[in-house]
Amino acid sequence: MRRIPMLAAALALVAAGCGGSGGGSTATTFDPAKVSGTVVLSGWQASPEEGAALKQTLDGFAAKYPKIKVDYQPVQGDYPTVMVAKFSAHQPPDVFYVDSSVAPDWIKQGALESLNGYLSDQHFDTSKFFPGYLGAFKSPDGSTTYGLPKDGNTLALAYDNQMLSSAGVQPPTTWDEMISAGQKLKAAGVSTPYCLADDLARVGAFIYQNGGGIIDVKNRRDLIDSPATRQAVTWYLDLYKQGLARSDKDLGVAWCGEALGRQKAAMIFEGGWLDSFMQGSYPNVKYTWAPMPKGKQQATLGFTVSYSIGKESAHKQAAWVLLSYLTGQDGMKLWTQGGVANPTRTDVPPAAGKDVLVQGAKYAHPWSFVAGFSKVLDAFNNAFTGAEQGNGSADTVISAAKTAIDQQLSGP
Amino acid sequence: MIRAARRGRTQRSREAIAGYLFVAIPLTLYAVYQFGALGYAFFISFWRWEILGPTAFVGPHNYQVLLADPAFHRAVVNSVYYAVVVVPCQMALGLVLAVVVNQIWFGRGFFRAAFYFPAIASSAAITVLYIYIMAPDGLFNHLLQLLGANPSLFWNRGNWLGNGATALQSIMVLNVWTTSGTMMLFYLAGLQAIPTDLYEQASVDGAGTWQRFWRITFPMLAPSHYLVAVTSVIGALQLFDQAYIAGGSDGNPNQALLTMVLYLYDVAFRQFEFGYAAAVGIVLFAIIFAATLLQRRFFGEVSWAAAQ
Repeated sequence: MRRIPMLAAALALVAAGCGGSGGGSTATTFDPAKVSGTVVLSGWQASPEEGAALKQTLDGFAAKYPKIKVDYQPVQGDYPTVMVAKFSAHQPPDVFYVDSSVAPDWIKQGALESLNGYLSDQHFDTSKFFPGYLGAFKSPDGSTTYGLPKDGNTLALAYDNQMLSSAGVQPPTTWDEMISAGQKLKAAGVSTPYCLADDLARVGAFIYQNGGGIIDVKNRRDLIDSPATRQAVTWYLDLYKQGLARSDKDLGVAWCGEALGRQKAAMIFEGGWLDSFMQGSYPNVKYTWAPMPKGKQQATLGFTVSYSIGKESAHKQAAWVLLSYLTGQDGMKLWTQGGVANPTRTDVPPAAGKDVLVQGAKYAHPWSFVAGFSKVLDAFNNAFTGAEQGNGSADTVISAAKTAIDQQLSGP
Repeated sequence: MIRAARRGRTQRSREAIAGYLFVAIPLTLYAVYQFGALGYAFFISFWRWEILGPTAFVGPHNYQVLLADPAFHRAVVNSVYYAVVVVPCQMALGLVLAVVVNQIWFGRGFFRAAFYFPAIASSAAITVLYIYIMAPDGLFNHLLQLLGANPSLFWNRGNWLGNGATALQSIMVLNVWTTSGTMMLFYLAGLQAIPTDLYEQASVDGAGTWQRFWRITFPMLAPSHYLVAVTSVIGALQLFDQAYIAGGSDGNPNQALLTMVLYLYDVAFRQFEFGYAAAVGIVLFAIIFAATLLQRRFFGEVSWAAAQ
């Protein structure tokens, strides 16, 4: 059992050595209605409902473009690892999901096809996308687009209806109200008002609310070593110290959604993925979405996934036709109307109950930075967990993250 | 006579050829996928090697970076610390279980299966189960409460796997439990090879149970000690799955669960630095090889002496 990863790694290494670089440039001026062929589509599938919604969307595509056949091959298990193996074997699917957090790495590695030619020659209007989502799939200088966001999520406040109403507490809208709401809940006997993940993918929202930053991607410099960021990290750590918040690890749950489900915490900051989890595991716990509390400014984090085309795909024209349908107004409507995902386009209405999460996209910062960001994330999170457990402070967290950022920015 | 001898020889060589033919395919596969992959990993450890981009020969650069990489240092320290604690515990527990199972008359098959079960059950399933048991509100803390302790007042707030100070130790306990069954089987086989007349003679000479164990059983098991020690050290230095499931690919919390194989995986599949990952793998290989040679020096001579 222990050998499997070693073997997989070795096989991937062997595969990496074989084969030449395929996939040349493809003409981008063509009539989509005349393109034919088979397109391999890959992604992950989180639930049967997602599978049903995707099937409905692909049926819509088949009705409009009957000449193109879609071969849907969902990936089981660890998606990025499987895809990296496919890239190194020079056999990527034609169209596939790209998570915003790995997009800079895959762009840098040359795994994704530039969409610029298609966008201009096929007159695809990208102005309908929320910029915070679209930006996640652009090159660092913003000039090249490598994917179009298929759906997105923002962090928002989810609170337990019964806990807040029995304590007579309104959902907080500012940082000060967060403290006072927490104290009121505590006084009313709620032992843990907030479940706060010790993760930059949550802390980051508060950093942006305070006017701080993480990395200036365009100018390749760190923004984490700034007074505004330091202040936000200190404030977040203080919530633990004051006993108003506990981390998911500390509560003994896999993530804060489970803390809400098991009513171990009254308020959490998560995204739309919470809804399907709660319906499946804790259907009797009633909760409500509210916008992120406002710091110095309104801000949250945006998590999104694109459809992209493999650079070594052999069917790029058909792939583009599929991609443009899936991320266009009609395709996205079919995909999101049942509520399995939230639209990334302003011209597709959100499904019932998803309004807060969709509106957050207006002030969302993309969860996508530079290639090698996972090292920055590890450095921040490791130091942050240490600080939360009493070994360190905001200063140690910032300096660990800054070292990792500088290392990534100085690399080739 | 000569004809008969020749016929014997040809028959033997024909049998030998048939034998080699039978193993040819698996042996070739083994050579390609084990030695081939090993050689190839050694080769690319001298290159800057990513997914699709250009590769470049960098000489020993990857190894130089490795020597100065604090995350790798942490991974080596964690792996070695883990092996140093886990291996003796596994051996001791395996030996005790084997001796106990070997002596009971009633339900021997049941106990043997029960002790061996964790070793054959999926380690992923067992680890997930263990995470629930060791959770702050899990079974383990509940038992501590029944004994009168209050885990939430402990320095780790009863958070065994989530706290950097106790995470690796908790995984050690898990693995001693799950793998001691395998060690028990090795020792059981060894125990059955000890001639019973040795014990009879010792009884006649007036040796007690304790003396019989230390003077006969323990030294006669020398070949088993060697086998168990080698497999156990290799297994310990290759710790991956339990650490990955409990702490993710960065060895959370705070790199407490970062092992060498986990770091290799992280570097290859999250950072895409395959050349660097290959260098990590080669260093891991060197460490395991050196550890095995050392054990051969230490146990190998003992087991030879016992066999003489």
